[in-house]
Amino acid sequence: MKTDKNKKLKVGVYGITGCSGCQLSIIFNEEEILDLLSLIDLKAFPFIKELNIDEEFDCIILEGLVANKGDLEILRKLRRNSKMLVSLGACACTGCVPAYRHFTLKENYEHLLYKKQEELQDVEPSPHDEHVKVDYYIPGCPPDKKEILRFIKGSVRGVLPRPHQNPVCIECRRNGNACLLDEGKPCLGPITTGGCNAVCINGGFECWGCRGPTKDMNLDLMIKMLRDRGFDDRFIQDRMRTFVGLKLPMLERVMQGPKSKVLQTRFDGEKKFYE
Amino acid sequence: MSKTITLNHITKIEGHAKLNLKIDKGKITTCELSATEGARYFEGIVKGRKYYAAHEMTSRICGICSCAHVVAALTAVEDALGLTISEQSCRLRVLLTLAERIRSHATHLYFLALPDYLGYESALSMAPEYKPQLQAALRLMKMGNGIVKLLGGRDLHPVSAGVGGWLKLPKQEEMEETGKELLKVKKDAIATVKLFAGLKQPEFESDAEWFSLVDPNEYAVLKGKFASGKSSFEKHEYRKFIEEYHQAYSTSNFVVKEDRRYFVSALARLNNNHRQLSRDAQKALKETGLKPPSKNPYHNNLAQAIELIHCIDHAMEICKREIKQEEMPEITPRAGRGVGAIEVPRGTLWHEYTLDEKGIITDANIITPTAQNLFAMQEDIRKRMPSLLKKKKQEIVLDMEKLIRNYDPCFSCAAHFLEVKWL
Repeated sequence: MKTDKNKKLKVGVYGITGCSGCQLSIIFNEEEILDLLSLIDLKAFPFIKELNIDEEFDCIILEGLVANKGDLEILRKLRRNSKMLVSLGACACTGCVPAYRHFTLKENYEHLLYKKQEELQDVEPSPHDEHVKVDYYIPGCPPDKKEILRFIKGSVRGVLPRPHQNPVCIECRRNGNACLLDEGKPCLGPITTGGCNAVCINGGFECWGCRGPTKDMNLDLMIKMLRDRGFDDRFIQDRMRTFVGLKLPMLERVMQGPKSKVLQTRFDGEKKFYE
Repeated sequence: MSKTITLNHITKIEGHAKLNLKIDKGKITTCELSATEGARYFEGIVKGRKYYAAHEMTSRICGICSCAHVVAALTAVEDALGLTISEQSCRLRVLLTLAERIRSHATHLYFLALPDYLGYESALSMAPEYKPQLQAALRLMKMGNGIVKLLGGRDLHPVSAGVGGWLKLPKQEEMEETGKELLKVKKDAIATVKLFAGLKQPEFESDAEWFSLVDPNEYAVLKGKFASGKSSFEKHEYRKFIEEYHQAYSTSNFVVKEDRRYFVSALARLNNNHRQLSRDAQKALKETGLKPPSKNPYHNNLAQAIELIHCIDHAMEICKREIKQEEMPEITPRAGRGVGAIEVPRGTLWHEYTLDEKGIITDANIITPTAQNLFAMQEDIRKRMPSLLKKKKQEIVLDMEKLIRNYDPCFSCAAHFLEVKWL
């Protein structure tokens, strides 16, 4: 990406609706954060900077999901102004927990809807790539802070780290963890993209799938494994949709069967995610 | 002469907010501070989910205080289930909360607040001249993050704390090692107090009352009554004394107590509980000359710095205790309502859940510190403005930003969306 050796990469870090956790994950690289400036030309980072230069960027790293019209405007503007757009974190990549609203009953949140809808300017909670082209994804809730660093260092050299493809199980096994599925717990490690070093399972907690499904996941088998362990379809759907529901549009179809009781949502079948 | 000041994107705060000020003939006609974040409807989307999903989902309200949301949600859910956790489980939750406070205060003080006072646009641009100070900040942040990771499994959105206890316990030697590390960074906390005590703060008094938890046994963290100098309330009664409503220009709610505004924060805690601070924190407080109670919101930074010392001392005490292996309790779902009120970096955080007999969440309510402080912040700006009118616009803006940042607002939290009630 970089052509002139003396010219530093112009980077902007922004956030739209989210929890600021992904931007914090950048700062929480306590040992490296101060040296970051020698690597890149940090043009904008409103979370920690007063002066934010709004111009042509080589790379925009953007946290958060699109939840109102303001978010959408910012996303489109940043996309126009940057050669590269990086979606940082689960909200940006998959919609994360806020996008679970698509899969809950409307009556659960209807009463929370703001009366003056036109002022709130709500839009359906959605990840970046439902609206614009995304060049690189750093998934996870939160994203691995070292992965962010590797990306920045890599993009300075012009070599982007290869996205992870293996499921969480590979790293989990390497860490010597006992398999939570063997213990009867509803772990989504087999269908979830790794790169997190199986951090949740290391901490005793089952994987909820925050980094998104692997490209070649076997969803049928995963569903069967969970059903075999006594989890009902409602549970399986809720769990799978908590972080990445929008990226599993086929879930309902796969689960359809004479025995399954499926929660009807607005998605019935495949949905196209890319423009 | 009329003047309009609009800060569309207030920088160096958590989340997104804007300030809209209109001044006509020396009078403030409009003063609106509002979150510009999109609504995320957390209370709506946890409905229909089982009790064990509450902390996992609501943790995502906020990155910097994710431990706070986890602990508050767990406390509320256990309250609803009638579940009592072990003394050790509670102690480790206190440690998790304190560790988060250490990293949050250090991040806020050095990365968000300090540049204003030293005349820099950001902490990064301070680096050439203030490297030792920034390194101290980063050591404190690393310390807090290290403990959160040790206990919670990772830096943000911890996973090891579960309903009823801990899915995984730290090892004894890891706790001992942590205790040693804490002792090493204590000098950084003491230096932070000195640094912030030396900053010039404007004379100003807020009209808002301060509130925090008050616990007779210790500098309140997870237990106690919600109190100010004047009044005191039980947490289960909070709906009787906290009211929520919605402003047309914002996605956040303001919370008013008996038709009065109040603030929650490190300063509110210091005002109520300073006699329970650790010895070294009390000593540091005395040296600063700050005499609680203070109604000057500009003192919140100093209060945070003093809390750093106290949190380190309290955390060291916890690290000395023995870790016993414990089993997680068997949980039988039951119908009930539970409230969690805990002290988190920015003040008191409230979570409430109602469960049905299957353990499904049928109602949820969350009130964050920033949502409670918004009204006080806005009215402080209104009160402070007249004394600034003769200054240049740029100086007014800086002063306003300083005031807002002193409250350490988190608009991600405030804009999580609460129940709407028009007054």
